[in-house]
Amino acid sequence: MLTIHHVTKHYGKTKALKDVSITIPKGICYGLVGPNGAGKSTLIKMITSIIRDYTGDITFNEKKLSDKSKQKLGYVPQDIILEEDISAISNLQLFGNLYGLKGSQLKERINEVLTLIGLQDRGKDKVFTFSGGMKRRLNIGCALMHNPELIIMDEPTVGIDPQSRNYIFQMIEELKKAGKTVVYASHYMEEVERLCDYVAFLDRGEMVENGTTSELLQQYAVSSICVKGSNISVEELKSYGMVSLEKDVFLLYTEEPLQAMEQIISYCRQNSIEVERLELVRPRLEDVFFRLTGSNLRD
Amino acid sequence: MNAIMKVELKKHLQDKGLVFWMLILPILFTILFISIFTAGADNATKQEVIQSIVPGYVVMFVFFIMISMVQIFIKDRDKGMTARLASTPIKSYYYLLGKWLPFMYIVLIQIVVLFLFGKLVYDVSLEEPLVLLMLSLFITFTVTAIGLAMALTVHTENMGIAFTQIIALGGAMLSGLWIPFDMMPSFMQTIGRFLPQYWAHQSFQDAMAGTTQVSELFQTLGILFAIGLAAFIIAIIRYPYFLKRAVK
Repeated sequence: MLTIHHVTKHYGKTKALKDVSITIPKGICYGLVGPNGAGKSTLIKMITSIIRDYTGDITFNEKKLSDKSKQKLGYVPQDIILEEDISAISNLQLFGNLYGLKGSQLKERINEVLTLIGLQDRGKDKVFTFSGGMKRRLNIGCALMHNPELIIMDEPTVGIDPQSRNYIFQMIEELKKAGKTVVYASHYMEEVERLCDYVAFLDRGEMVENGTTSELLQQYAVSSICVKGSNISVEELKSYGMVSLEKDVFLLYTEEPLQAMEQIISYCRQNSIEVERLELVRPRLEDVFFRLTGSNLRD
Repeated sequence: MNAIMKVELKKHLQDKGLVFWMLILPILFTILFISIFTAGADNATKQEVIQSIVPGYVVMFVFFIMISMVQIFIKDRDKGMTARLASTPIKSYYYLLGKWLPFMYIVLIQIVVLFLFGKLVYDVSLEEPLVLLMLSLFITFTVTAIGLAMALTVHTENMGIAFTQIIALGGAMLSGLWIPFDMMPSFMQTIGRFLPQYWAHQSFQDAMAGTTQVSELFQTLGILFAIGLAAFIIAIIRYPYFLKRAVK
């Protein structure tokens, strides 16, 4: 459905994307994962034709991107971009009009979208009276007005409450059920794990790896051990495998987690170190990213 | 284009700041300056001053629309709305027109209201209403085209406000909107003849008095249109740069 073929983009002397190639099949949720500055938003702006000066090709349904393909694409930007001084209905009307919806068809679609985003009771209210979560939902609603085949979401859950986040997850699952293709960019790995069938890891403008979520976990994820305790030497932990620090907890990645646990226990006993936490953690996409890049997503 | 225009009109109608700049402030200035300049004057002088101040302040205050134009475009650019609209099928020239036309309506309404105010309160003569309407249309085009060019050129809102003050107040001073043009030093008169305010003011006064010469009218309309067209071309040239900045 969407093919990104050897795409490169420079901002002055900085390379924002380096030779990225991705194929996104129809009807799936495709995760674009990477830390801030990895190139996710740049890639999304290229897919949505906001950025046009790049090298390489992007095709949609085997045709080069054009004004016609824009009609089949819905874009949910990272920032909340709405007209705050007018009502939710007027915002939906604006985006519906821009995609050629008129009259009863437009009215009908506004009602459908308001129901989908759970704002049917607030349609006539001005947007500045909305909470952050409601604005985020309306931001998504504007992108869905023309019932696009492909929906591109750039970090759609940034800065919202858990309730609205869950609502957005349900919406995306509904869209998937309806056969829509979703491109979901995020640096929240747990969201991607929950929603996406395929994942591409981006780091410093390069695509590090891609594949189905289960393939990537199987191929790269190793179990990790969560270690917390005062006076535990990082150097000691590094002798068992790769170590990352998350808040005040060390995560140790190793091929032999049980053996490493035994060694840590005996090291702590010998050195009279009190261990507050020592547990085995199931493999996560976050671990795959760490294994591939040597850095955490939120570094 | 209509979709953007409708939303813009809705927003403008709710904007109390715009009502203040475009209607209340000019009316207050007109009242104030007429009362100052006509104090103690005989009836004939009084009427002469009023016939000059009313169109003068109309011409001066139409230029303040440029502040709103800069604000709207910069807000759209910085908030991401310009970039978001670039992802929709709307053509860039429809986007510009959709944003521009509501400002033209506002300026036209402003001119009509201010002349009607002059008529009702000071009984100014409006001998040639069709000529006045034609001049209003042309000055509206000129002012909003300059505003559009500026909105797409300046980097910050403050820069836009500063340039508007220079154009509106500097232009008013040099074009004889504050004091009779003939009483100004000759070098100022020379500069003034290059400004749209001078031509609009002179022709408005003639149309009000019913003394319009066809050749002079066409000269004024031609000058106003040429300045507006030049500004519009600058706007078109600047738009890709504006869009580039919006995308970042």
